[in-house]
Amino acid sequence: MTELVVDVHDLTKVYRVHERSEGLSATLRSVVRRSFREITAVSGISFGVEAGEVVGFLGPNGAGKTTTLKMLSGLLYPTSGEARVIGHVPWRREDGFLRGIALLMGNRTQLVWDIAAADSLRVLQEIYGLPEERYRSTLRELTELLDLGPLLGKPVRNLSLGERMKVEFAAGLIHSPRVAFLDEPTLGLDVSMQSRIRGFVAEHNRRSGTTILLTSHYMDDIVALCKRVIVIHHGHLLYDGPLGELAQRMAPYKVITVTLHDGAGSAFLDELGTVVSREQGVVVLRVPRESVAERTARIVRDLEGSLADISVEDPAIEDVIDRVFAGAAVPPRS
Amino acid sequence: MRRYLRLLALFARTELQFALEYRVNLLLEIGQMLIVVVTSVGAVLILYAYTQAMNGWTLEQMIVLLGVYYIVQGVEELVLQPSFERFMEHVREGTLDFILLKPISSQFMVSFRHFQTVQTLQVLVGVAITVYGVARLAAVVTPATALAFAVTLVCGFVLIYALLLVLSTFAFWFVRVDNLLAIFWAFIDAGRFPIDIYPGWLRVTMSTVVPVGIAVTVPAKAIVGLVDAPTLAAVVAATVIAWVVSRAFWKIGVRSYTGASA
Repeated sequence: MTELVVDVHDLTKVYRVHERSEGLSATLRSVVRRSFREITAVSGISFGVEAGEVVGFLGPNGAGKTTTLKMLSGLLYPTSGEARVIGHVPWRREDGFLRGIALLMGNRTQLVWDIAAADSLRVLQEIYGLPEERYRSTLRELTELLDLGPLLGKPVRNLSLGERMKVEFAAGLIHSPRVAFLDEPTLGLDVSMQSRIRGFVAEHNRRSGTTILLTSHYMDDIVALCKRVIVIHHGHLLYDGPLGELAQRMAPYKVITVTLHDGAGSAFLDELGTVVSREQGVVVLRVPRESVAERTARIVRDLEGSLADISVEDPAIEDVIDRVFAGAAVPPRS
Repeated sequence: MRRYLRLLALFARTELQFALEYRVNLLLEIGQMLIVVVTSVGAVLILYAYTQAMNGWTLEQMIVLLGVYYIVQGVEELVLQPSFERFMEHVREGTLDFILLKPISSQFMVSFRHFQTVQTLQVLVGVAITVYGVARLAAVVTPATALAFAVTLVCGFVLIYALLLVLSTFAFWFVRVDNLLAIFWAFIDAGRFPIDIYPGWLRVTMSTVVPVGIAVTVPAKAIVGLVDAPTLAAVVAATVIAWVVSRAFWKIGVRSYTGASA
């Protein structure tokens, strides 16, 4: 068995938040007697990640993705549970651990606004104590992959959001970490910059074998980068496995698209499944998995004359996720 | 240790480059600083044209005191003030995470990361004024008083640093502590006069709560042999305690930030 780079058991984080009521008198009362409410952000999740894997964390806002990444990068103490990242307990923040990990956040910068990116990188070289030769070769590779050449000399404040994100990646990976935690790395970027960043992450992972844990709101990021996904909802781990099987496991239905020569017989389709859309002779149906074969056969048999085309597919990954998060991951009645 | 010194030099160098990019601003800051220094030295000279001593302070001692004041304030404005102000921004914006994830002392990064390099000039002016004042006092300066001067000056720096660290650490719980620091800067300002001339309650405040009195007045007295051995020992002891306490408090703050105590 390959050694696990990230090994998590029963990780739980409960936040204790001060509950505040509205109104002055309630505020004054709360000064004397504070009432606390406990919020479970992450609830007993376990998983392991092997070296070189790219794993995507999926979940709506507040699902516990960032809390998990923060615990794994050593910024938060868990309430209970265990974790090991590159052999270290993250929240002890030991030297060997800190040198082996990176955390990048799409909405925050570690660069200093007023000085040139190159100067920020020099500071990082000194902090990590990188030998000049290794620093230069890493920087050369990052410069090539990210096309940083013209950006390094400019003060960070003069860079566009996309340019800044590229430099952010260079700063985050200059010490060649073994594990990189990427929290929404493409947040707010335009489509072409998103795809460039994706291309970079994939290429960097291929070349240097960095293990990557990634959260993103953009399904495209996940689809492009992650063979494996972990779905978290309300702090619970709902799914951990190949992206391709997510639809099968999480959505107990398939989508049948029927194209008709005329509108005839379209009413008949209502009995076979949930009609998702119906326009210009194209009807999209949602059908429980177990009855897909039988219903398809009925459509072909009964609509024989007016049937122009029929296809059976897994639902789009976005739809699966949306339904899971809306709490609708139960088989539709039909 | 060498790594930390090299980093310090690197921080200063990058910020100097930044300062040099805005030349007009740099010139204005230098001009402003010179005006402030010249007028405050001038005010002392004018005052002493009418009197020989102020509450026991002669003109020469007063000059040394002013010099020490500019050294202390200069160092404070050179690195501590810009660094701690940036630290509070980090807490507000959540970028402190990046600092906590570096394989280096976070206290060091927070305290000395940013420089206002132009303030080097203030330190140099302070040194020049001090040297001038000490030269005029040459008759009473002995190796022992010079040593006492150096020791108390270092203690003063550490005391001020410790207090700043404690005040800034409150940002972990209250996020906005800018006003707390504003009060602190105001007290530093008052340090340009010997604390002996202030009324009792203020004198006590300025030597305990805000140690600027100790940082500025005590070295100026030490150089002419007005600080006895027990006082010196007390200042050194207080400094060690302040350092240990402030560092422990900082660690508690970081632990609270990462939820270790919750």
